Amino acid sequence: MRSKIVPIILALIVMSAVLGIAVLMLLLLGQDWGDALFWVLAAVMIGAGFLVVTMRDIIRCGLAMIVCFLALAGIYVLMGAPLLGAAQVIVYIGAISVLVLFAIMLTQTKDAPSRLVFQTQAVPAAIASVIVAVLIALAVAATDWGELPQRVRLATSAMSKVLFDRFTFPFEIVSVLLLAAVIGGVFLAKREPGGPS
Amino acid sequence: MSNNLDAYLILSGILFAIGTFGFLARRNAISMLMSIELMLNAVNLAIVAFAAFSRAVDAQAQGSVIALMVMAVAAAEATVGLAIVIAIYRNKKTPLVDEYDAMSQ
Amino acid sequence: MTIDAFIPLLVILPIGGFALTAFIGRRLGKGAHWIPVLVIFGAWVIAMGLAYQVLSGAAPLLSGSEDVHGYALHWFTWIPADQFVVDVGFLVDPLTACLLIVVTTIGLLVHIYSVGYMAHDPGYWRFFAYLNLFMFSMLLLVLADSWLVVFVAWELVGLSSYLLIGFWYRKRSAALAAKKAFIVNRVGDVGFALGIMAIWINTAAVDGIHTLNVRESIEKLLAQGDANPIPLFLTALLVFAGAMGKSAQFPLHVWLPDAMEGPTPVSALIHAATMVNAGVYLVARSNELFASSPSAMVIVAGIGIFTAILAASIAMTQTDIKRVLAYSTLSQLGYMFAALGVGAFTAAIFHLMTHGFFKGLLFLGSGSVIHAVHEEQDMRRMGGLAGKIPITYATMLVGSIAISGIPPLAGFFSKDEILGEAFKFGFYWVWGIGLFVAFLTAFYMFRLMGLTFWGVFRGPKEVWDRIHESPGVMTTPLILLAIPSVLLGLALGLPLGDSTLHHWLEPVFVHAEELLALPHEPYALAGIDGGLILASVTVAAIGVALAWRLFGAELGGIRLPARPEVVRDVSARPGLAFLYRASLNKWWFDELYHLLFIVIGGRIASALWWFDREVVDGTVNDVGRATIGAGRGLRRVQTGRVQNYALGIALGLIVMAGSYLILAGSPR
Repeated sequence: MRSKIVPIILALIVMSAVLGIAVLMLLLLGQDWGDALFWVLAAVMIGAGFLVVTMRDIIRCGLAMIVCFLALAGIYVLMGAPLLGAAQVIVYIGAISVLVLFAIMLTQTKDAPSRLVFQTQAVPAAIASVIVAVLIALAVAATDWGELPQRVRLATSAMSKVLFDRFTFPFEIVSVLLLAAVIGGVFLAKREPGGPS
Repeated sequence: MSNNLDAYLILSGILFAIGTFGFLARRNAISMLMSIELMLNAVNLAIVAFAAFSRAVDAQAQGSVIALMVMAVAAAEATVGLAIVIAIYRNKKTPLVDEYDAMSQ
Repeated sequence: MTIDAFIPLLVILPIGGFALTAFIGRRLGKGAHWIPVLVIFGAWVIAMGLAYQVLSGAAPLLSGSEDVHGYALHWFTWIPADQFVVDVGFLVDPLTACLLIVVTTIGLLVHIYSVGYMAHDPGYWRFFAYLNLFMFSMLLLVLADSWLVVFVAWELVGLSSYLLIGFWYRKRSAALAAKKAFIVNRVGDVGFALGIMAIWINTAAVDGIHTLNVRESIEKLLAQGDANPIPLFLTALLVFAGAMGKSAQFPLHVWLPDAMEGPTPVSALIHAATMVNAGVYLVARSNELFASSPSAMVIVAGIGIFTAILAASIAMTQTDIKRVLAYSTLSQLGYMFAALGVGAFTAAIFHLMTHGFFKGLLFLGSGSVIHAVHEEQDMRRMGGLAGKIPITYATMLVGSIAISGIPPLAGFFSKDEILGEAFKFGFYWVWGIGLFVAFLTAFYMFRLMGLTFWGVFRGPKEVWDRIHESPGVMTTPLILLAIPSVLLGLALGLPLGDSTLHHWLEPVFVHAEELLALPHEPYALAGIDGGLILASVTVAAIGVALAWRLFGAELGGIRLPARPEVVRDVSARPGLAFLYRASLNKWWFDELYHLLFIVIGGRIASALWWFDREVVDGTVNDVGRATIGAGRGLRRVQTGRVQNYALGIALGLIVMAGSYLILAGSPR
């Protein structure tokens, strides 16, 4: 009971903290809606992601994943790629998350979620992931990307031109890949005729 | 903040790290797959961020296209992965990966 | 052809006899003695012929010498290895000739005696084969002219001694005694080997040419003097170490009494007349080497005379007839080394020859006694045998008189010459101790006679009834040995002061005597020399008389009863009681050596074994164990679970990225 609630409370605390900071910044430092939105969406995304990996109940993990994807779609829109945001919602939330939820339902064990959530190597894994985050942050901060000072709005027409002009071949390959994945998935998950259920 | 490339990249890094932790530490196979999805999304975010801030004009459009491809691939991978998990579940009756130790024999 | 062509036969005949008897002896059964006896007879004839030629001066002069007559024969080159060339050859000079006489004569007589003594032994053929092997080794030793060949023969003599002492190998004490003899010999042989190596090194010091030829090497060593890298003092002492082992001088004397476990002919041949003389021969052969180092000579004399008195003191209380004779041999060998040490080389060789004969006689006689009382060796169970075994009795009486130094028998001449020379060369302490030892010698020999032949028989009655004289094949050698015991002194020792033997051996020792600058006054029978003779004879007479008083005598008209109660009282007196016990226990030398080498040495060996086991083996084993442990530990990485492998990948990634960051990311 306690382990169910703790991660939720943690995530809520984080999110509210970030939100609080954003509100403060909004009120005190002037109104830059873009920044505030970024903070809010970032906080939601990180919080939901954290919940995905720490919650005990898998169904709830799946739902948290959906929230995470949603926040990410928002960030895409904020960055000026609305098509991508739409694609994110349709593909990830609409297809993949549903698939995951189906799989969860199909592989539920009789007893309630087992005693241990984490593996024995959870602590080294946590340390490793923290170090990974730190490394990436350091690498990012230390590199001069030579970027524009302002984000660019990505026009959908330009994107489609590139997609069907230069990326025709990968486009077709990806469609074949999807076909193969579908066939493979069906075949793998097929029940043996007359076999155990 | 929203105009700072580093912010998006660090955000992507944090999400990637969370995904890594989930992949390495969770016992349920489907949790592992969900963590993989998180990691893929983090990478997607990084790609789009680079595209949004790049100086080369064609890179801006290409970034979204690549992100789209990644999404498609992620969908395919999730499909197959989940199918495998279901198949294994049918065999071993458990979705917990630390019970799949036939390789150590 | 000249006689020197026969010299190789002296060694070929015995070894051939050994080989033949070893192969077909078992089938010959009782006839197994014919080949060995005939072979030794042939060797005897050749040896006597050679000796006659050399000693009478009929032999040619040796090359490189103005006064030594003899034969030097080069037989073949054994090791032709450039710098290290060893030739096998023979040298027959007057010294060798004297030794040849002793070795072959006593060898032949012992062979004949053994026909009777070993008649009932199942290993008859083996005994004669070993005897021939021994004769081969001994003859090779005295004939060899190269140090390495001498060493080979030296070792072979030790081997033959081992085989013969342990002849009755099923008897545990005999096997142990044989082992003890061989090992103690070996200790001395180490010194000898080092001495040979020292000679080898020294000979090349000036002109870079090595030589192992006995005469040449000694000449070179003396010519080089102080230029020798290894001092002559040390070289001489190393060679003496070998002599100490073979001739059983203190502290390597412990093997000789135990060697009495072998059959009596063996004791007579090897441990009285030949093998133990090898050490004396060795020192005499290298006399110039010793003479160039007066300190080494003093050490030789000291050890010799100390052994003499030590052994004589032990012989006084021994109850086994052969042990008394064994300690007597030790004592007389001590005399010989004392003589060598004071510079009286001729006297030493003289005593070697006379001692060989009368000690051989005494041993063979004791064998006859043992045979008569049916294998009893304890003198406390003998007595009154004079009438029952007359020939044995008579010959042993002759031997006892000879060894006690009563004129005109052989022992008097040789012993007196040693003592006289010691006194005249200024070694008064040697003379004094030697005189006391002469007293002791006379005493214990007539104690032996008293206990064995006079008085009443103290053994079981059944044995008394069956006592009989030994067969002719055994008593004839006794008689034949008694003759030189009586006459040899007169033959070789006269005229006094300028004896025949002195003439024969002078060329061999003259150089050494010059080096030592010994005083040479004319013989003064009425003066100092007469006084010395009187002293030694008196002392011997006192010893004899005292023995008669205590142990009885039935000689000619003298009839004295034995007084065992007096013996007991005297030996129980406070001061003498300790000496008696010490003498009976051989001055606890065996116990001391046991403590030193077996107990303490054993502890050291255990400690070293522990070290080898734990540290050396442990290191090797631990390397193996570490490898196995490391393998076992590393095996745990392979869990078969994907997530663990993934963690490994993540860690690797972190390490690579991190190090790249650190190395390449510092300058912004």
